[in-house]
Amino acid sequence: MARLRRFIRDNAVPLALLSPAVLVILLVVLLPLIFSFYTSFSNYRLIRPDSLWDFVAFRNYARVLGDGEFWSALWRTVLFLTFALNLEMLLGLGLALLVNRITWGQRTMRTIMMFPMMFSPILVGFQFKYMFNDTIGVVNNALQSLGLAQEAIPFLVDRWLAFASILFAEIWMSTAIFAILILAGLFAMPRDPVEAAKVDGCNNWQVFRHITLPFLMPFIYIAMTIRSLDVARAYDIVDVMTGGGPAGRTELLWTLIARTAYDDARMGRANAMAYVSILLSIFFTWFFFRKLMAARKHLGAF
Amino acid sequence: MKTVTFALASTVAAACPAMPAQAQDYGTFEGYTLRVKLIGGAQYEPLYALIPQWEEATGAKVEILSRKSHFELDREMKQDIAAGNIGYCVFSSHTNFAPQYTAMNQPLDDLIPAEVLEAFSPLVIEHSTVDGELVELPRHSDVSNMFYVKSLYEDAENKAKFKERFGYDLTPPETWDQASDQAIFFADPPDRYGTHFAGKDEAIAGRFLEMLVANGGRLLNDDWTPAFNGPEGQEALNWFVKLYQDKAVPAGTTNYVWDDLGLGFAAGSVAYDLDWAGWAAYFNSPDSNVQGDVGVALAPKGSGGKRSGWSGSHSFSMTKSCDNKDAAASFMMFLTSHDAQMIEARAGLLPTRSKVWDDVTAEFEADGNDFMVEVFEVWGESMRDHAFTPPLVAEWGEISNALWPQLQAAILGDKTTEEALNTAAEEVTEIMEDAGRI
Repeated sequence: MARLRRFIRDNAVPLALLSPAVLVILLVVLLPLIFSFYTSFSNYRLIRPDSLWDFVAFRNYARVLGDGEFWSALWRTVLFLTFALNLEMLLGLGLALLVNRITWGQRTMRTIMMFPMMFSPILVGFQFKYMFNDTIGVVNNALQSLGLAQEAIPFLVDRWLAFASILFAEIWMSTAIFAILILAGLFAMPRDPVEAAKVDGCNNWQVFRHITLPFLMPFIYIAMTIRSLDVARAYDIVDVMTGGGPAGRTELLWTLIARTAYDDARMGRANAMAYVSILLSIFFTWFFFRKLMAARKHLGAF
Repeated sequence: MKTVTFALASTVAAACPAMPAQAQDYGTFEGYTLRVKLIGGAQYEPLYALIPQWEEATGAKVEILSRKSHFELDREMKQDIAAGNIGYCVFSSHTNFAPQYTAMNQPLDDLIPAEVLEAFSPLVIEHSTVDGELVELPRHSDVSNMFYVKSLYEDAENKAKFKERFGYDLTPPETWDQASDQAIFFADPPDRYGTHFAGKDEAIAGRFLEMLVANGGRLLNDDWTPAFNGPEGQEALNWFVKLYQDKAVPAGTTNYVWDDLGLGFAAGSVAYDLDWAGWAAYFNSPDSNVQGDVGVALAPKGSGGKRSGWSGSHSFSMTKSCDNKDAAASFMMFLTSHDAQMIEARAGLLPTRSKVWDDVTAEFEADGNDFMVEVFEVWGESMRDHAFTPPLVAEWGEISNALWPQLQAAILGDKTTEEALNTAAEEVTEIMEDAGRI
């Protein structure tokens, strides 16, 4: 106790200066978190405010964990994350390497590359919804006009095509994030090791595999961490393109949670789902940070 | 030419709206600002052009806090209730949604004079009454009936082929079984499909409900347990499954919403479309590929001998916390007045006042607009004799959300109809338990 008093006395000024920020964080972040955590143990329904005090202990969690639709949405989200992150990384890496080789008009190219990021996800969703539409969509029209398909392909209905369609939209919009971060890595990369490797007789693939890629890995993991949090809460594009359907075929965690919370007004149950799904985000963040640290160690940063 | 004349008349009517303010005394609320949340969208906005007249007549001002689609507004209402943030007086509601807003609905029985209510269709007022209290003043109604491409039904070759294949004459379907036969008969994908349906959200849940009721079934038992998973429900769901598997409907129909139906029929891509009357004028306009070739008929009957008639009314409701209930009531009566309803009725929206039905039909007759006369006759009969709502309970939205993904699962072949309905029934049981009804 005496030690605590001494600590406060010795650090009075920094503590006083920090206290408004701490207070704001407590009010804006912690209180809502505690409140929503409590509601996940209640039968809270938005349209009946008094149901906030209807405590149901672990009933929401038991139901969520025993709900096949929730687990399907969770695993679909993990699958979506895995495909989206890896494909975005590969495409982003390819784009960055190509742009890095350009000697004329590189700035213009970088700007053009960022165009998809400038669109609202809702607009991107509408754009691809109409492109993949089975009757009026340009993709179907093109395939039929070119004689590659005889009848309309139900892109937004078929289980895997619908999944691929929303994945395509997500990748189209966000690959540039990887490309920009990796390009920053390429700009920061020292030339000496590359030149030394070439003098030693390494071919281009060996230089890329053993020098360029290890150097870029920290940048890739940072991009992956940011994007994993983004994709894990993917909502807008999916909601516009398929609404999680048909028959739950493209249901991701947040389309399910949003419908439960706002359309069904079952906020207690939705919060229980959200808390289970946060574990997913924490796992991916932990995983990529571990990889990041390992990559930095490999580079000799520590 | 008739349509052009009608369109011109409608435009003139919209540009120079009638003067309901002069027909009735709406009171004086000098200096008061009435805060409202209204449904937005092309079909709903023309009515709001009248608001300045109410402001002029009463001395009050209207502040519109929200103008959103009904589903967005519904989410906002729920959040307002949860947050206790109900600082407005009037909001757009709907008969199917109104029971959810019990926490904020102000009963209107003592605020709207009996003589005003008498002018409304009794059935519509009954649908606006929840637990014995009038909670909304209906603005216009909605019920689906049949639009079909006349030339397809009148074609002699089609008639002969149909009779040979199905053994009865080709006329607009009287039963859902006939509707199924005809959709299969007319399907010629990808150029034309027999029909289509809005395959997600409340749209398909409501369509399933009306077929279930038409087959003699019901959604819930008296003890609030699910009743839709019996033979009547399976029969209703099998109707959708059969059409989908026989490719009589577009493959993407499970993602369609209401607008896709209207636009699809106007494009000439289906033989018939079950839809609301709000599309009627557009279907017969120069923008439509089926102009002058549109027939209308009542919605088919189910195996129980009853016609489908899932219905509801867009309405105005008042909040309990409203600080000037007289002004709010005045505003609601103004926007549902005879002349205000005439403006919406001219565009094909179904009025809730009995006299407006007669007056707008007389106007169409005077204009020589036989098509709209026929539309109002068919939809009028439907509203009068066949319309019904889902159970007026707060849980309808949740029930609908439990139902439609399962209906889709059966339609797409992921589950049998029995499995799908039983799964939905389990979810609905849980919903009713959580709501404290079971």
